[in-house]
Amino acid sequence: VLVLVRSPLPRLRALLQRCWGRLERGLWPAVFRGQSPPWGPALAVQGPALVPQGMSDAGASSLLESVVWMAAPKQRRTIEVNRCRRRNPNKLIEIKRNIDVCPECGNLKQKHVLCGYCYAKVKEETRLIRMEIYKKEGGPFNAPTVETVVLYEGEKPTEKDEGKRIIERARKRPSWFVQN
Amino acid sequence: PCRWLPSGSLFPLSCIHTSTSLQKIGKWEKKNRIVYPPQLPGEPRRPAEIYHCRREIKYSKDKMWYLAKLIKGMSIDQALAQLEFSDKKGAKVIKEVLLEAQEMAVRKHNVEFKSNLHIAESQTGRGRYVKRLRCHGKGMFGMMKISRCHYFVKLVEGPPPPPEPPRTGFDQAKEYVQQLRNRTLVHTL
Repeated sequence: VLVLVRSPLPRLRALLQRCWGRLERGLWPAVFRGQSPPWGPALAVQGPALVPQGMSDAGASSLLESVVWMAAPKQRRTIEVNRCRRRNPNKLIEIKRNIDVCPECGNLKQKHVLCGYCYAKVKEETRLIRMEIYKKEGGPFNAPTVETVVLYEGEKPTEKDEGKRIIERARKRPSWFVQN
Repeated sequence: PCRWLPSGSLFPLSCIHTSTSLQKIGKWEKKNRIVYPPQLPGEPRRPAEIYHCRREIKYSKDKMWYLAKLIKGMSIDQALAQLEFSDKKGAKVIKEVLLEAQEMAVRKHNVEFKSNLHIAESQTGRGRYVKRLRCHGKGMFGMMKISRCHYFVKLVEGPPPPPEPPRTGFDQAKEYVQQLRNRTLVHTL
């Protein structure tokens, strides 16, 4: 729970300052601030009941300041109301009905997604092949213009692989990597 | 109660545990220690119950509650499948807890088939909160609390119980009529 500590808003402060200024200047003839009042010596003449002239510009400024009155909760929400909202069925997690078993490895997979285990297997093998390629090329920008063929232990290049670059991997061919 | 004594112990006073360096052994962990008297030949088999929990998980208890509510009443395989493909952080933690509990069940609690378990109860509790300062702009600050939670699970041997049929309007009407019929006159002949 965050509790913000802030000074009163600058607009509110400006409004308060303006009100106090009006009071001081005596537009609302109620209080004499200092010893010397702005009017002359005292004939007991009541000041005319001034229609508060501050109305016109007060109206404009209150229109501007009405933006300041923001929405805020009036009452504390009870725990019963909170529970109704938090435990509403639309907020609960739905059970997924698209989970199947991968026919290759037997792990669980989602129907529209590749099996995570098989993907990790292939990714690891690809990483090792790429390391071999890096060792053969020796540096960046040395990729040859011909195709590449990956051969595992005990395999010979066929007639189709005449002009291609050959990458050797020192292991048995994995079952999922079919040779053409 | 006599259930707490393992069978064959001679000294009842030796089971008084004074709290040692391992501060407190929570109530949920103690539920695994109860030992029932042997069943009579005619009684139906009491299904095995396994209590497991994990304390002080760095996650919010309200967010964890949604996952606990998802799992309640499912079989353990279905629960593991749902948790595996859930995107929540707590799903990984609960999956570990369930696997640990399954392992415990097979090794220590004489459960024959590890898939023959279902989740009877799964609850979350509030862990210890820590208050920290969170700095905003202009030198303002707020206090935030770093929340942790506990997760409790009870596995019971056997297939999951069938879900209750939802209460229809007809059931509610029947109950109302039954309440009206149960009314009697008091303090009369």
